[in-house]
Amino acid sequence: MEIEVQLTGSPIAEKISPPRLAAHGAWLEFRGAVRDEENGVKISGLEYEAYAEMAVREIRRLLEKLSALHPCLAAKVIHRIGIVPAGEAAIYVGIASRHRAEAIALLGEFMNGLKQAVPIWKRRALPFKSIEDDVRSLTFPGKIPETPHVISCKSLDEAMAEIRSHCQALPAVRAPLTAALGRVLREAVCAPSDIPDCDRSTRDGFAILSNGESETFFIVDKLHAADWKPRMLKSGEAVRIATGASLPCEGLRVVMQENVERNGDKIKILRREDSPNIRLRGEDVKAGATLVQTGARLDAGKLALLASAGRAQLLVSPQLRIVHFTTGDEIVPPEQTPKPGQVRDSNSILVRGLLEKFSCDLQQTHLPENFEPAKSQISSLKSQIENAYVLLVSGGASVGEKDFTRPLLEWLGFEIVFSQVNVRPGRPLIFGVNGNQIAFGLPGNPLAHFVCFHLFVAAALEKLTGGSPRQFGRGTLAVRLEDAPNPRETLWPARLAGAGLVPLKWSSSGDVTCLGEANTLIRVPANCGAIQAGAEVEFLAADF
Amino acid sequence: MRVLFFAQLKDVTGCDAVELALPSPLNREQFWAALLEKFPGLREHLGNVRLTRNWEYADAGTQFADADEVALIPPVSGG
Repeated sequence: MEIEVQLTGSPIAEKISPPRLAAHGAWLEFRGAVRDEENGVKISGLEYEAYAEMAVREIRRLLEKLSALHPCLAAKVIHRIGIVPAGEAAIYVGIASRHRAEAIALLGEFMNGLKQAVPIWKRRALPFKSIEDDVRSLTFPGKIPETPHVISCKSLDEAMAEIRSHCQALPAVRAPLTAALGRVLREAVCAPSDIPDCDRSTRDGFAILSNGESETFFIVDKLHAADWKPRMLKSGEAVRIATGASLPCEGLRVVMQENVERNGDKIKILRREDSPNIRLRGEDVKAGATLVQTGARLDAGKLALLASAGRAQLLVSPQLRIVHFTTGDEIVPPEQTPKPGQVRDSNSILVRGLLEKFSCDLQQTHLPENFEPAKSQISSLKSQIENAYVLLVSGGASVGEKDFTRPLLEWLGFEIVFSQVNVRPGRPLIFGVNGNQIAFGLPGNPLAHFVCFHLFVAAALEKLTGGSPRQFGRGTLAVRLEDAPNPRETLWPARLAGAGLVPLKWSSSGDVTCLGEANTLIRVPANCGAIQAGAEVEFLAADF
Repeated sequence: MRVLFFAQLKDVTGCDAVELALPSPLNREQFWAALLEKFPGLREHLGNVRLTRNWEYADAGTQFADADEVALIPPVSGG
């Protein structure tokens, strides 16, 4: 049986087409609507809640079980979550079968089974006529609910898309070449002239007419690399020329000095090479051609190219002002020997190193673990926080009692967009927005930092700076990846070497040794388990 | 181990999920004992809450390990 299951926060469509199956004679539809009273009290709607991943699985499993008893061809189930106003459908079921009897039987048993085993709840009834107020209070920015919201657990792709949708490219600034490393070029730069600007010799040797028959030549001039001495050569004339020097006219070739016998002012050519040994004018790039595209992140090579094109001032992304808080009373500086229960702070230098690529003005501060003293310390950094484009908080992203990242961000005025991503490691990732500012709460251990940075923080920084989005590449596994099936998508630390991708030893997100080797992250789909050597996999470069 | 709470159980625990560092593997009784120590208010719901492990209902023999996602499912009311 073909099965389609959806949980949705939006109204269910008025008309839903049956599946295109030639064999079905019956298409049975059921819509369960929210009544306008509950236990005798008038209501304006119901709020539904679901354990989403499991609810979808349970619905599917129930349908599969029932289709063995009542063979049907296809089923489509849509269940609303969130607030459903009275009168609207909370559930839709469509069943296709050859004859009506099995569809009707399956529908009845399905609805009974749903009400027993599928983890969906009517969370509360909304009092009559208050629904607009209720919706407003749930979405009013800045209002913090007394109990935490339903955790919205995003898939990796959803989380990336959500982050990008909340980041806008910052206005470009003018900066000199020397300050532009790591910034994103915000204008296309074209070649102002041909490169090379004239025909140049690639050898130390003698320039002669390329179509001449003569074997012996009279040396009429000598050209060094910096010389510019145009002249027409005649048959039987040669010019002594250095590597890189400009040729005196067109229609020439250069014979290497090793293939020439010299006698005073005369030379005899022993052998002519196949190549004319000349770099032609505009051979590298023609005037007007694009040298560096807009959106390119400027590395040393690109800066050298821009310098060679005479661009001393560039239109680039601004330097990123970033504030980074580390948290946790168990953290001691790297130079200190940790007491039992303590760990050395590796996240500060990790974040600093990862940000190096992006040209940042980074402010790092360690916060005490209790919320109140942390608040007073933050108050002294008010202006830095207000001016920052990005706020990063290491540790405290989970939901332990002392994990205060979420309340901290809310206190600073951030609205939490999501607080979980269905990836391993790095699941308790918090992403918040406050006007144009964004914030990340990164899970405490260094590997999760590494993964979350390359996946999510880098995606945000690329968008803020106007750079081109980072993409997953495809590569071949050099060695079998040993893993048990896991319900979450996994980013597995790996090393990309000549033979392909080598997964690194990693058993817990607390492991740190793989950080010394990892330059890529292999994307292992949920429930995938081990992957054979030689298989093609998706990976993200993590080499900075 | 990640433990999720739904519906009225959120009102009892005051949160929708916790990350618990528990010795593993645990059987059902050991899991409940550890959880009730942290959230004594759950005791009165013990009789009608089902446990899940990695999105499937647990049975008497289920063992809960550190990497698992465990959810407490109070009586459902969908549809």
